[in-house]
This record gives sequence, C-alpha cells and structure tokens, in this order.
Amino acid sequence: MATKPAAAARPRDRTEPGLLVLLCLAAWMVPGAGHVWMGRRQKALVFFLALTSMFLIGLRLHGRIFPFDVSAPLVALAAVADLGLGLPWLLARLLDAGNGLVTAATYEYGNTFVIVAGLLNFLVILDAFDIAKGRK
Amino acid sequence: MTDHLLLLIAFAFFVSVVFAVLQRDEPRAQVRLGAMLFGAFVAAAVILGWLMYALPL
Repeated sequence: MATKPAAAARPRDRTEPGLLVLLCLAAWMVPGAGHVWMGRRQKALVFFLALTSMFLIGLRLHGRIFPFDVSAPLVALAAVADLGLGLPWLLARLLDAGNGLVTAATYEYGNTFVIVAGLLNFLVILDAFDIAKGRK
Repeated sequence: MTDHLLLLIAFAFFVSVVFAVLQRDEPRAQVRLGAMLFGAFVAAAVILGWLMYALPL
C-alpha cells in the first residue's frame, strides 16, 4: 500500500500540459527524442536511425522539400508532411538541400522517402505522447 | 542508386521497422511483425506491379 502513492505520482508528473508540450516539441525536433525522455532508449535509437536515414536517402534521390504553397493543395500537404521531421528538415532548408530534380529518374522515390519519413515521425510523436499519458 | 526494386525494398524495410517498433514492445514480437510487414509490402508491390503490366496505359 505504501508504494501506491509513489506509483501514481509518476504518471501525473508526466502529464502536466507544459511538459507534454515540451515532450512533443523534442520528439518533433529530433526523431526519437520523446522516447529517450520516456526512458525507451532502444526504441528511440531505432526511430532516429530509421527516420533520418529515410530523410537522407530521399534527399540523395533528388527528392524535394516542398514549399508552403497554399494555391497548390497537394504541394502544401506534402510540405506539412516534410515538416514532420523537425531538425533534419530545418537543417536541409538552411543548407539549401532538397531542391528536387524533376528530371531525375528517382525524383518521385526521393519525394516518397522524405514525405513518409515526416509522416512516420508524426506517429512517433503520438506514440511518445501516449506513453507520457500512461496509455501504453 | 536507381534500381527501383532495391529502392522499394529499402522503403519497405524502413517503414516495417518503424511500424513494428511502434506496435510491439518485445524484441521477438517486433522482429516477427517487422518481417511480416516487410514481406507483405514487397509481395504486394511485386504482385500489383505485374497486374498493372497488363493494363494498356
């Protein structure tokens, strides 16, 4: 009975709104950072390696990091998906990578790798959120 | 790096790994689900590819 309050206190600390926002921001900036925060280091390492590899392979295949162009809805949606990878996306934008080469045979493959890496990181963020809320 | 089958396999591998690690906690279960997803991705792509080969597009 003495351990019950201590066990109940841990999830409550983790679900404070401010901490949850920070957790999601960290998980967004660096793939797997949210899982490191939650003590799941092996999962975090797998997410980090898999998602950054996908992103880099996508860029290597001449994939494009799409701009936020509201006049072209599909381009805007692809831009939102690209944004999912946080820091790698930011670095690629700053280094002027991801311009895309439409004439390359692998252009669409590159786009697919970059877009799916971003979307998968959104799922990873949600997973870290669920862990923090005690749902997993 | 323009081998389409190799790229397909690489894509299936990465997506399978992420899904398996998201959905399962035990390493053995992760490997089992990952292998199943990977096989399903590759098999579906190859089968659909051959089916589309017959379409006059």
